[in-house]
Amino acid sequence: MSGLRLRLKSAPAGRLDLSCLQPEPLTARAVDEVARLPFEDGTLSDLFEITAIADANTLILAGPTSACDGIGDGLASGTLVVEGDVGQYAGRFMKGGRLDIRGSAGDYLGAGMKRGLLTVAGSAGNFVGGLLPGEKFGMAGGVIRVGGDIGDRAGDRMRRGTIVVKGKTGAAAGSRMAGGTIWAEGGFGPGAGPLMRRGTLIGPKAEQMLATFSDCGEHDMVFLRLISRFVAAELGSVAPPPLPAKVRRYAGDMATIGKGELLLTG
Amino acid sequence: MTGSQNMNVNGVAIDDTFAEAFGMSGTALIITADTLKWAMIAATTMTGFGTSVIGCGAECGIDCEVPASETPDGRPGVRVLVFGFSPDAILPQLKNRVGQCVLTSPGSACYNGLDSPQRLALSAGPRFFGDGWQISKRFGGRRFWRVPVMDGEFTIEDTCGFTTDAVGGGNLLILGRDRAGLLETTEAAVAAIAKIPDVITPFPGGIVRSGSKVGSKYKGAIASTNNAFCPTLRGTTKTELDADTIAVLEIVIDGLTSQAVADAMRAGLKAVTDIGAAKGVTRVSAGNYGGKLGQHHYHLKDYVA
Repeated sequence: MSGLRLRLKSAPAGRLDLSCLQPEPLTARAVDEVARLPFEDGTLSDLFEITAIADANTLILAGPTSACDGIGDGLASGTLVVEGDVGQYAGRFMKGGRLDIRGSAGDYLGAGMKRGLLTVAGSAGNFVGGLLPGEKFGMAGGVIRVGGDIGDRAGDRMRRGTIVVKGKTGAAAGSRMAGGTIWAEGGFGPGAGPLMRRGTLIGPKAEQMLATFSDCGEHDMVFLRLISRFVAAELGSVAPPPLPAKVRRYAGDMATIGKGELLLTG
Repeated sequence: MTGSQNMNVNGVAIDDTFAEAFGMSGTALIITADTLKWAMIAATTMTGFGTSVIGCGAECGIDCEVPASETPDGRPGVRVLVFGFSPDAILPQLKNRVGQCVLTSPGSACYNGLDSPQRLALSAGPRFFGDGWQISKRFGGRRFWRVPVMDGEFTIEDTCGFTTDAVGGGNLLILGRDRAGLLETTEAAVAAIAKIPDVITPFPGGIVRSGSKVGSKYKGAIASTNNAFCPTLRGTTKTELDADTIAVLEIVIDGLTSQAVADAMRAGLKAVTDIGAAKGVTRVSAGNYGGKLGQHHYHLKDYVA
């Protein structure tokens, strides 16, 4: 099984849903067969230049813009590489495999993600690892890594999984969080963790910390070593440096059951 | 017991007999702490009173030290093995031993030490010590529990692997005409076996001085002294001992695989035959039940280097 490279011939005029482009079914087919597949009002070849590549089970999407939504939606296996920006819902409900976005991403990146690895070289919008209205829970597993900043309410109703951000988060990261970890190397924006029940926020600082987070003191916890090693193994060269031996622990949100935590490394 | 002496290695007679061992279930844990000293204290305490499933519920021992670079949390560690007749029999032992001896030990953490798709609920008891304040963290395919304790947090992995292909009861009977020399030689054999991965010698210091036979004249006792190997009874009972034998020591070996037990038998035999004759060791035999009870037979002649 080889791979495919699909290059967008021109920037889309409106929103373009690319959720159907998945490595697993496409890379099993020949180039001319893929070219004839129906897409929108024509075929894939109407929008894309399609070439074979040597990398097995790998699909490269070249040239998408922030108008291209749903890339890697439900990705279960294989590698999907995006050379460009993506719009909303990238990696939503991912169940496995790897999605590498070499540009920036819009809102709802990795929303409801269950397994797999999602990386974004640039920045990402609001609700990273969150959920859409009407859904019960956000991210439930896997790893998201964003090279820049992320928007507001990352990890909204997140249950499990790990989000690593090189930059800082927007406001209210970890809102309504029920589990999992958000590690922001650049720190947290205003009001992190509103209505957070469980879960872990890690960063050097938190702006306008909510009054409902209680100082538990400075501690060296074994689990810090576990997450440092896990993230290093998952992300390799782009992994953040290991956490310090001691962090300051704030428990919250005490407005709910208060079993979440904000760990300040600075 | 069966066997006859028909081989001699470096002045030590090797009986033409075999060790008869049984299929068991086994698991492995890695216990870490801030220092190797405290990891070893937790491991030693946790594996205490774990010589025989008959009286202790499980057979336990320390397999090896684990360098900090190889433990899940990067701290010094010790790998312990726990054996029982079945996974169901091991589980309550894990709950009690980890709960009473590892959870309680300063700075400790406890992780799975055996890769296997078959899992035991390692944290099923200890995590509830957290009284609702325990925190679950899942990293990749592994789930850990953080249990708040008075020196910080006790970290324990949710499950540990187990095998039903383990073997218990590999053994060597070492006979000698000098008790001190016999003990020294047997200690050397235990040290050689300790270098073999995936095995333990669960008795005190790895050595048994009270080998048993099945049954007893007394109602309710399922095992009793192995009178055929008791030197002070040589003149009063059917004996397996030569006239110059004044003491017998046994090494019992449990392993996660039959191959590990076989490797341990070989290492032990070599240590005995390398130095034994000069220390007064006269003979090596092995315990069996005529081959009718145990599935695994380790013939001594197959393990003489």
